[in-house]
Amino acid sequence: MTDTIPADLASTVVAHGKAVAAGDNDAVLADFLPDRIGQLIASADVPARLKGAEVRTITEAGPGQYDAIIRYTKLDDHWFELRSRWVCFTDGSWRVSSVRNIPDTPPWMGLTGPSADGLDTAHWEGLRAGKLLLQRCRQCATWIWSPRPICPACHSFDTGFEAVNPVGIIYSWTRTWQPFSQEATGHLPYTVVLVELPAADARRVLGVLAHADGLTPRIGAAVQGIIEQPPDDRYWPLVRWHLDPDSDLETR
Amino acid sequence: MSGFRGSTAVVGVGATDYYKRGTSPLSSAQLVLQAILRACEDAGTDPRAIDGFVSYAGDSSEGLAIGAALGVHEVRWSTQVWGGGGGAVAAAVNCAAAAVHSGQASCVAVYRGLSEATDGRGAYNKGHMGHLYAAHGMLAPAQVCAMRTQRMLEVDGVPPSTLEAVALAGYHHAQNNPRAVACGQPLDHDRYQGARLISEPLRLFDCSRENDGATAILVASGARVGDYRGVPAYILSGVQGAAAGWTESVENENNYTGAGFHPALVKRLWDGAELTAADVDVAQVYENFTGPAVASMIDHGLCPPGRAAGEVLTVDNLTVERGRLPINTAGGNIAEGFVHGIGLVAEAVRQIRGGSPNPVAGADVSLLIGGPMAPLVSSTVFGSAATI
Repeated sequence: MTDTIPADLASTVVAHGKAVAAGDNDAVLADFLPDRIGQLIASADVPARLKGAEVRTITEAGPGQYDAIIRYTKLDDHWFELRSRWVCFTDGSWRVSSVRNIPDTPPWMGLTGPSADGLDTAHWEGLRAGKLLLQRCRQCATWIWSPRPICPACHSFDTGFEAVNPVGIIYSWTRTWQPFSQEATGHLPYTVVLVELPAADARRVLGVLAHADGLTPRIGAAVQGIIEQPPDDRYWPLVRWHLDPDSDLETR
Repeated sequence: MSGFRGSTAVVGVGATDYYKRGTSPLSSAQLVLQAILRACEDAGTDPRAIDGFVSYAGDSSEGLAIGAALGVHEVRWSTQVWGGGGGAVAAAVNCAAAAVHSGQASCVAVYRGLSEATDGRGAYNKGHMGHLYAAHGMLAPAQVCAMRTQRMLEVDGVPPSTLEAVALAGYHHAQNNPRAVACGQPLDHDRYQGARLISEPLRLFDCSRENDGATAILVASGARVGDYRGVPAYILSGVQGAAAGWTESVENENNYTGAGFHPALVKRLWDGAELTAADVDVAQVYENFTGPAVASMIDHGLCPPGRAAGEVLTVDNLTVERGRLPINTAGGNIAEGFVHGIGLVAEAVRQIRGGSPNPVAGADVSLLIGGPMAPLVSSTVFGSAATI
């Protein structure tokens, strides 16, 4: 903590940590900006029972905005950290405008694996084999994505899947703050990028941008895909995209 | 031109209240029936004389079931537009007009009803977010439209102020509409900017939020408008479609930052109406989200693309009192209420027929733009008798 942090903010954050650890929900909710209580409740993954809270840092995050990192200790003495952003509410009190688990980790959604129509089955099996496979026509060599029952270019029924080098550039992106499913809790906000693949005739694929906390992507930035294994066998592997460290400045 | 222009007209409009989602005391079918009965009352016609039913986006109330509940004399036309969600709303109007124009039916009800108790959460979205989206945390249309909007802002250079202008215009108009969910909750710059992010660049007020409710209109022959009460809103032109390389491709659409209203489709719309974008007096612009609405206005030629869009799409210019292009004059999806865009049809008609909470003086040409950035898109131009 530094001298520039308002004293009333520091004491508010300490009290907030204690309220979270004690499971005092009324006190916790009273610290949230009232227009986003639902979003905040569903953003952070917090166990039902905790035994302690410790404010690690409070830092200025912009004009009138401060980030607080609070470490919470679980009953088994393991700990985790949440980072909350604090702003001054109209009534003069300090309130939380956003909160997230740190470090950021990508969400795992139940809807992974082959679609009901089976068109993308080879793509998912390829991920299990460690490859990014996209559909390609065996007759006219057109890359087909998303998958189709026949080749839309030459109408051949003879299509297959080929490995694509998972290197591309960001075509667009969005950072999602709204908990659209329970599975997103603990991972918000997360950034999804749409990646254009030069190796597949500029076809585009979606994926989560890894290690995106505090980072605003730029369209045109180079990314590399790394296949991430799922936490358990309910899920299928997914390509996560990583900014190319050598081309941070390369935009559009 | 085709003979389609002005050959049919909307002769009745009816709607239920807008309910907070999940709170309608009526089932979806009952909501639809109430809307149709009110449209018949508006038209001064016997509900049993309706002989056609059209809906879109997987409405749970099938036309035959609605016809049976109304005890109609005969069902001659029962059709639902395939795909596209709210992108099909104007296509449904056009489909009814095609049926009447071709003599397949004489009085067609176009409707959409939703109630969360009947249709489940997110019914507007069923079947549109497959595994290739969902696995990556892309679960809602808001995220898809956010991603497309981001490129429109970042690469095309469309100013973010255009999104805010669409939201504020709808909220401004809703203050005069007692039926609007946002009536009594005005929106200004600070409240808009201070609202929570949903999926960047979209904030809360950039997003429509679904309601329970229903709206219906009646489409009849332009030659028979005298059989019905009130001022008819003639259907001058209508288009629907998806360009090559546009539809159902998991973010591989050509012209990615467009709303899907490709040049040939827009040309057919204006040619069919024998009008241009400059002739539009008032527009209902489907805002699933503000970004796609902006893209759809660019597609239709209502404003220039890129940075210059910001000079046309201002709050002043989009509101009734001072604007050259008033939009969403009952509040739109964002501020009046969202039942898959069907409320916009009613307002587009009321600008000609009367009954708008914010009537545009002397409006003769009223444009309806259906759900933008959807796999299927559609538009309809309505006109007064003076345009015929």
